[in-house]
Amino acid sequence: MKKLTLAAAALCVALGGTVAQAQEAGALLDLLVKKRLITDQEAEEIRGELVKEAASTSAGKWKLSAPITELELYGDARLRYEYRGGRLPSSFQFGQNNENDWYERHRQRYRLRVGLRGTLADDWFFGLRLETSASSRSTNVTFGGESSGGPFAKGDDGIFVGQAYFGYTGFPDFKFTGGRMPQPLITTSMLWDDDINPEGLAEQWKHTFTFNIGGGGGEAVQSYSKGGYSKEGKGVVAAPAAEPFKLKLDVFVNTAQYVYDDENPENPIGPNPTVPEGNGSQTGQKIPTTDAFMLAWQAGARLTFPNNVYVQLAPTLYNYTGNGDTFNIHYVGDPNTNQTGINSLLVFDLPAEIGWKIGDLPPMRIFGEFADNIEGHDRAQAAGHPDHTGQHYAWMIGGAIGQLKAKHDWELRAWYQYSGQFALDPNLVDSDIYDSRVNEKGIAVKAGYMVADAISFNLTWAYAWRVNGSLGTGGQNGDIPINPLDQYQIFQADCSVKW
Amino acid sequence: MKMKHFAVALGLLAVTLPNANADRLVIKGSDTLGAKLVPQLAEQFKAQHPGTTFDIAAEGSTTGIAAIIDGTAEIGMSSRRAKSSEVGAAAAKGKHMKPTIVAFDGIAVIVNSANPIKSLTKKQVEQIFAGDVTDWSAVGGSGGKISVYTRNTSSGTYSDFKELAMKKRDYAPGSQKMAGNEQIAAEVGKNPNGVGYVGMAYTKAGGVKPMPIDGAVPSTKSVQAHTYPYWRPTFYYTNGDPSGLAKEFVDFTVGPGGQRIVAQVGFVPIK
Repeated sequence: MKKLTLAAAALCVALGGTVAQAQEAGALLDLLVKKRLITDQEAEEIRGELVKEAASTSAGKWKLSAPITELELYGDARLRYEYRGGRLPSSFQFGQNNENDWYERHRQRYRLRVGLRGTLADDWFFGLRLETSASSRSTNVTFGGESSGGPFAKGDDGIFVGQAYFGYTGFPDFKFTGGRMPQPLITTSMLWDDDINPEGLAEQWKHTFTFNIGGGGGEAVQSYSKGGYSKEGKGVVAAPAAEPFKLKLDVFVNTAQYVYDDENPENPIGPNPTVPEGNGSQTGQKIPTTDAFMLAWQAGARLTFPNNVYVQLAPTLYNYTGNGDTFNIHYVGDPNTNQTGINSLLVFDLPAEIGWKIGDLPPMRIFGEFADNIEGHDRAQAAGHPDHTGQHYAWMIGGAIGQLKAKHDWELRAWYQYSGQFALDPNLVDSDIYDSRVNEKGIAVKAGYMVADAISFNLTWAYAWRVNGSLGTGGQNGDIPINPLDQYQIFQADCSVKW
Repeated sequence: MKMKHFAVALGLLAVTLPNANADRLVIKGSDTLGAKLVPQLAEQFKAQHPGTTFDIAAEGSTTGIAAIIDGTAEIGMSSRRAKSSEVGAAAAKGKHMKPTIVAFDGIAVIVNSANPIKSLTKKQVEQIFAGDVTDWSAVGGSGGKISVYTRNTSSGTYSDFKELAMKKRDYAPGSQKMAGNEQIAAEVGKNPNGVGYVGMAYTKAGGVKPMPIDGAVPSTKSVQAHTYPYWRPTFYYTNGDPSGLAKEFVDFTVGPGGQRIVAQVGFVPIK
């Protein structure tokens, strides 16, 4: 009996080392007691030794509160070289001199993102991510970018809360999220910069059916359920089903209510504010004092055929209510006028993707997106451009080959993108392609290679031209402070570490 | 003269250190063990060891384990295992938390005698106490809104039952919290739709019946064989192997005389 006890102890200690392993050994001890190979007291003494061992390890010293059932530490760090240039028009326009002159920047940058996400008891989940940079559309910090403090100053190396959210997955197929969250909608950088973490509420429903061709009906096999927090921030596309199938259909609905801009105060002392001088016919108009909300309505499907062939469509409608205290002047988009207004925006968006994999060839896909601001005519007229009401479309189409998931993977991606001046919300479009602007069209190419499971190199190049030469290019003047941005070019070389 | 000083110093040392009085045993910890079982064990032990005195403080398992870590008691009573953080804290102070199982405890799920339901599964117990199921018809009963009775939040049994039976989920929002086993048994005995949990000694209260869980009836035999799912060991914790008076008391507790008392006060003997 003594030998058996020692054997059990040795086995358990071999399993031991972490709290989780100690618990696994505990199950084994229970089994040995049930089989009457050891006594309860002997099991308890071994259990005590295991806990002591585990408590002395690094993992054992971490203390998690009882409601946490799973916790993941994740993040990434990136080094980047970037060239970015913008050219003024070839002739005097909007009071801009220096025709054809390029505004150019060469920057060495880094970013750091560190997060914790996990699940809680009773089907709740949460996430927190800290990021460098206060910008909503960038997490980059430029080396040597401080204007004071001398070399290597830390003035712009701040840490900010990028994500802070929690949610509930207790109802079959549903997922509810609130807070500052990863983007729950299927979208592309044409509409949404992927650095943006929207604030508000989101509701997601997804159901998966499998069909056996030639017999039987659909059968639900996957859904949002316990433990279902989104690891990539795109928590709608299901992982491959464990069981073989002939046809799989994921149907999903995503809705969101984002707090776009808070009005403070809603009821000021004295009369309501009016539009200041210099805003044309809007000058003197009473400014509404309401919070601004962005509402998103997405319903779509992904149909997966045998041999990894899939088709995905995610039609979406975006509309806005209220004005906040920042977006209460009509959008114009030309220089020295309003660049960011959200009036007359009712955007229908249709992102689509078709993918396939043939034999041992790398996976391939064609992707595209079409967006139409249904109120684009009104937006153009409010901007004082009733002759350019046709600028309410945006679209992109591209292709990709390869993937970036594991060591030695590679990917090549290229696309063409067109954004009309009154087609999109200029506050959300990608800050890289094309510099947070609309009224731009151009091409973009990305190439990536993973030298290790956690290390990747990426190159990005893009070039854009102004769509309509008589309009400005809207959007916040960010990295290239000229408007109109008649031509634009960007090149980025990245080395990223992901954990 | 030097000898005289040495003797005085030894005397002072004996008064100062808690362990120094060989006939006095300091026991702290669990109110589950310290309310009845350990005082009765102490009385019997004193009868066999005249001159022995006990200092028993039953203020919860946490205080018993802390007392071993701090060195303020020879024996720490606990109705739960020491947490890894407590074991780590003890190791940091050079202490070794040695557990000795002194008794088993079975937690019985009881319903009103008039309830026609004959047994429950572990899943059904979780659903009932977590509030997923609110009507007896959902678990094979004849219908009626379920009234859930639990111990109050300061009770170790309150958290133990969550861990043993509810996967650590929260109790149903409408559950009623009672001060002790007697109160739960009394309320369930009066309420035809009541359900609660009590120590095994209280299953014979009037108007209630214990539920077999997955076919296992709460009994001395099923708890000892661990076939009944809601059982738990109870412990004495000592700093390493006990010695002196503490060892004698531990040996007495787990011996035949002590285990007879264990059975008398409603716990399940370890053998």
